[in-house]
Amino acid sequence: MTSTVTPRGPGVPAVPGSEPPDEPRGPRSGIAWLLELPANAVRSITRSAATTPGRFSLIAAGLIVLSLLTGVIGTVAVQDRANTIEGLIDHREPMTAAAQEVYRSLSDADATAASAFLATGAEPPELRERYEFDIAKAGAALAKAAADSGSVAEAAEQVNIINQQLPVYTGLVETARANNRQGFPAGAAYLREASALMRAKILPAAQELYEIDTERLVAEQDDATGVPWVTALLTLGLLAALIATQIYLKRKTNRVFNVGLVVATIAVAVAVLWSATALTVQSVLVSGGRGDGTEQADLLVRARIAALQARADETLTLVARGGGESYEEQFGELTGQLAGADGQGGLLAVAADRAQGHPSAAHIDSAVRNAAAWREAHAQLRELDGSGNYQDAVRLAIDESTEDTAAAAFSRLDRDLAAAIGAGRQIFVDDTTNASRAMTLLAPGFAVLAVIAALGTTLGIRERLREYR
Amino acid sequence: MKKNVRFGLLLSAAALLVAGCGSPGAPVDPAPVSTVERPQPANAAVETDVEGGGSSQQECDPTASLAPDGSIPAGSTMDEIRDRGYLIAGVDQNTFLFGFRNPTTGMLEGFDIDIVKEIANEIFGDPNAVQFRAISSAQRIPVLQDGTVDIVARTFSITCERLKDINFSTVYYVAGQRVLVDENSPVQGIGDLGDKRVCATKSSTSLRNIVAADPKPVPVSVDDWSDCLVMLQQGQVDAVSTDDTILAGMAEQDPTVKIVGDRFTDEYYGIGIPQENDDMVRFVNAVLERVRGGLWQASYDRWLRARLGQSAPPAPNYR
Repeated sequence: MTSTVTPRGPGVPAVPGSEPPDEPRGPRSGIAWLLELPANAVRSITRSAATTPGRFSLIAAGLIVLSLLTGVIGTVAVQDRANTIEGLIDHREPMTAAAQEVYRSLSDADATAASAFLATGAEPPELRERYEFDIAKAGAALAKAAADSGSVAEAAEQVNIINQQLPVYTGLVETARANNRQGFPAGAAYLREASALMRAKILPAAQELYEIDTERLVAEQDDATGVPWVTALLTLGLLAALIATQIYLKRKTNRVFNVGLVVATIAVAVAVLWSATALTVQSVLVSGGRGDGTEQADLLVRARIAALQARADETLTLVARGGGESYEEQFGELTGQLAGADGQGGLLAVAADRAQGHPSAAHIDSAVRNAAAWREAHAQLRELDGSGNYQDAVRLAIDESTEDTAAAAFSRLDRDLAAAIGAGRQIFVDDTTNASRAMTLLAPGFAVLAVIAALGTTLGIRERLREYR
Repeated sequence: MKKNVRFGLLLSAAALLVAGCGSPGAPVDPAPVSTVERPQPANAAVETDVEGGGSSQQECDPTASLAPDGSIPAGSTMDEIRDRGYLIAGVDQNTFLFGFRNPTTGMLEGFDIDIVKEIANEIFGDPNAVQFRAISSAQRIPVLQDGTVDIVARTFSITCERLKDINFSTVYYVAGQRVLVDENSPVQGIGDLGDKRVCATKSSTSLRNIVAADPKPVPVSVDDWSDCLVMLQQGQVDAVSTDDTILAGMAEQDPTVKIVGDRFTDEYYGIGIPQENDDMVRFVNAVLERVRGGLWQASYDRWLRARLGQSAPPAPNYR
């Protein structure tokens, strides 16, 4: 109210005459000025704060810096969130699916190779094709998993194991085929060696890789559903500061409204409401895509792999011909995991529970029925084998041409589970894409609103400052 | 100006010196692989605590069995088997020529299988009334002791030690242990295998004979005889040593291996029968009596003659 303070350049004494004029000059002065800068700044700010217009200027500067800071941090956070969600759909979830494909197709190759061995005469072409397709899929999925595993040493190690052992495995299977075609029992020995390698080294690595990828997916989904605390605090703080400033101005100048500040306040309030709504909707959708989508798919993948390994055990029991008690025990364990000891529980029951009202429910119901049919056919198969009808037992195990064989029931179960997994993944894609849509324009919008808040503050306070000139 | 030039020269010299002194390190190998772990048959292991002396040290006459009796009285073991409807036989499905699965038909075939079918034929009048159970060498005695099978016909050498746990029929084949190596191997017999890896199945007399050999080889044990062939083909063992009959089956599957050395043991193959079933032993001996009459020769000619030459059934020896 008494005097105006004008900003001064560096090194120039604030008020000539009032300060000692003997400020050092020359080449040294640059560094000296730098060293004294904080002290000078504090001094000039305290001096400014002593006057009302000076205080207004400081408040304005503070609000503008806070607006811009909130704008930058908020925009970056929102953009980062949007990128995470895009990454979930385009990269992270497909990578988990690739790891699952490695695990599944290798388990299937193992089961198929054992079935092909049980078949007599020339190798059935459909089993050969299935095995080849499995190996090709595993190879393609493994290449993707390898490209993705660079930053995670543990995943890279698993990929390394599979990459080194898979060619060895296929080599052994081909040697087994060559011997088998000549009628040599060495073929069976090579096949057992191949299966042992698959079960002891390759499948555990594939399982570990899948677990790691599932964890990475869950971690990114966590990232996409958390509350962005820094942005939230900054934005709410900015809103509070704007309101406080208006109350202060009203008290000092007796004017109720300041258009600039009101505009700034509205802009920040819109930013708060918009981002809160968008982020909440987005979080709910991402969580939905996780619960009904990827978690359900994970459950079903585990069920499918348990079924595949049980299937390999079923055929290997017959390959071992009387010596396969350990395979049969494992079969019981795995089908227990799959559908419970009584056929009413296990992974399938949990999945059925969670799938109620979703498109995958029909597939899972069908899977439960086919698992029961398989269990029945398996019991019949074991009984046949146990009573000496080996050839009939083998027919039940590998013949898909009639409906009631173990082979046919397993095939149907596998198809059901594949369809249910597909449905789960679709839910994930739908929900997560909608989550991404909920964030449309939020990042640029947030930036624009922050700039509007800064401009409004500038204009509003300049208007008040003019009254002191 | 001149000063600057001199300064520049000095600087470059210093830079060169630094570049020359510091070690640049080796080129980086981004994917180092130091060793390759070879695939192994399941349960393959180097044996460390197997006692030596298999079939060579006998404190009894292992070939002496009970006198034959081909009748099936009511309440006898054979009567129970007949009530069941099929004979349960522990056999091999991995030993070419003796007991193996024919991949073309899925059926078990071989010299041992022919004998089992003959026993079934005698009880049921049907050679196919048999439930075959494929067992490993190590399972032969346990499955007889717990009654899982009625008989075991699986290149089963009669030894005094085994006679303490189970019963045997009369001898139906006499084999002898020899050595199988790669065609270009310098090994001439068991004596050249000191410190070399030699394969045999677990709990076989062959494995114990290998352990007893001098100089001492490194015994490697597996579940089935064809696993030994796999390990030999993969270069994981230097030799396989077991009965010439089994080795002949391996040589048949791979023209790049050869059988070397003389027979250094006598292996008397008998049918394994649970200890308490004396009636079954007599019955099987009666079947073998008949088999020696002609079926033996037919089966031998079919499976073994081309590889092992002329032979005749061994004479029975009764207690």
